[in-house]
Amino acid sequence: MLQKSMRRKSRVIALYLLIPLVIYIFSVFVPLITAFVDSFFEWKGGPQKTFNGIQNYITLFHDETFWQSFGHNIYLVAICILGQIGIAFIFVLMIDSKLVKLKGMHRTFGFFPSTISAVCVGFIWKMIYDYNRGILNWFLKLTGHSDAVKVWLNEPSKVMLLVSIPLIWQYIGYYMVILLSGVASIDKEIFESAEIDGANAVQRAIYIVLPLIKNTLLICIILCIAGNMKAFDNIYVMTSGGPGTSSMVMALYGYTVSFKQNNMGYGCCISVAIFVLSLIVIGGAQKVFNFLLKDKEVE
Amino acid sequence: MAEVKTAGKKKNKEKLGPARALLAVLLNAILILFSLSCIFPLFWMINSALKKKRDFNSDIIGIVKSPTLENFKNILGNANYHLGQSVWNSARTTILSVFFIVLFGFIVGYILARIKFKLNRAIFAIFLMGMLIPQHSLLVPIYVVFKKFGLSNHWFTLLIPYIAFGLPIAIFLVEGFVRTIPTELEQAAAIDGCGFSKTMFSIIMPICRPIMVTIAIIQSFGCWNEFSFALILIKDQALQTVPLALTQFTGQFNSDYPKIMSAMLVTMAPIVILYFVFSKEIIKGMVAGAVKG
Repeated sequence: MLQKSMRRKSRVIALYLLIPLVIYIFSVFVPLITAFVDSFFEWKGGPQKTFNGIQNYITLFHDETFWQSFGHNIYLVAICILGQIGIAFIFVLMIDSKLVKLKGMHRTFGFFPSTISAVCVGFIWKMIYDYNRGILNWFLKLTGHSDAVKVWLNEPSKVMLLVSIPLIWQYIGYYMVILLSGVASIDKEIFESAEIDGANAVQRAIYIVLPLIKNTLLICIILCIAGNMKAFDNIYVMTSGGPGTSSMVMALYGYTVSFKQNNMGYGCCISVAIFVLSLIVIGGAQKVFNFLLKDKEVE
Repeated sequence: MAEVKTAGKKKNKEKLGPARALLAVLLNAILILFSLSCIFPLFWMINSALKKKRDFNSDIIGIVKSPTLENFKNILGNANYHLGQSVWNSARTTILSVFFIVLFGFIVGYILARIKFKLNRAIFAIFLMGMLIPQHSLLVPIYVVFKKFGLSNHWFTLLIPYIAFGLPIAIFLVEGFVRTIPTELEQAAAIDGCGFSKTMFSIIMPICRPIMVTIAIIQSFGCWNEFSFALILIKDQALQTVPLALTQFTGQFNSDYPKIMSAMLVTMAPIVILYFVFSKEIIKGMVAGAVKG
């Protein structure tokens, strides 16, 4: 009797687990394996597939555009860690001081851009950069810098910076709020005693706040790396990777090769490469941080 | 000694009065400028959406003089733009995805936290892996698989990847949460003759409400705003979600900014209203999700 009910229970549990597992494996692992298999084929999306060994990978290895895209991802990661988390950290220090009013408003308004879609943010900034009707050129003309007026997103050397600015702007408030939650957990007495000991604001920031919110800071950096390795939406909207390939990123390149050039086999190969490279970058960063954290604990 | 020091400090502060006041003004000014920049686009879009195209082109930033709802009437009245349809599609996709993520996340998280069986840790590890796997590398392969199985371009198509991508974090959060609940509750329920399902849904589920709300908040924004998978899996205009419809729309009206802005406002409205009504809860939920994940 007991055994029977036990068996019934395990059947119920298996049933509960089944649907989520199937959906999950079907959307994550099946595509991964399919991509890996298809990456060894020459396949233009039609019914015809021809096995060509590691030819796709050799092409990839010599594909300058792909490595340029990878470089752009790394550029985004670097500039966003500095821009998003760096500025957010400075804002956190400012908000935390007794001199600042309207703290609640800064949180609510600052967080707002991170809740709207990257597509919307992309369009908003595309309109800001617009030649005839953009706010940027309007402002330049207003302040008498008419010679600086440009078709902004057509400048190959500046386009990466210009597409990073919306990204940075969108997420400063997000990281600011996360860091604020880290600062809130610090005992206020520490600040008071430091102030009494004559530590100035900069010293307090570096020697007290920074070490105490280090964990939160590292979480932010990991989120920032993961977020920028998958950059796609707002670059698709703003430049589609152009002019030429000046603002191409990995995910967008995989998309372009697969759906605009119909080169599905090579597209799958790129997907595998994105998978491996992103894992290396994100996993590597995590390893470094774990190492850093352990090191500090020993001290 | 300490007293002397604090006294000296106080005197210092008084002397620095004007400098401190200046600093206060500066800090407040910088932060207010930043805060305003964050909501400025919203006001710029509302202001511009009320202008006629001609008025906007002659003055892109000035306050609207003769407000008109013509743009809104035009974009919502024309069924060819599929804008109202896309809002409905997004709402349906988001609500269903979030419902199933929360439900499945709760069930799986609870089972993995409480029931001992051979594959328990293996299944947990498989789901956790989902948080590490770079989703954007699945963009092309998911298209291939969904096409092969005839799953792309249906009304339910996007539910599958959205649920799948939302599950790992949901399971992770629920599993951690359930572990903090004492097992006595379940033992008492078992003695009272409560079955497994009844215990799970009527006793544990209400306790897990806060973590389920957190999951729902994170995933709602994620699903409403998701673009790249919708882009490759949906071809039919009538099935487009909001971000997809926007890219189509802007392609069509390249130079008519007031029209584009009114379209953006319409598609942003649900999220913006939700955000400003529940901003405290939403910020709390998003932060909790980010930090624990």
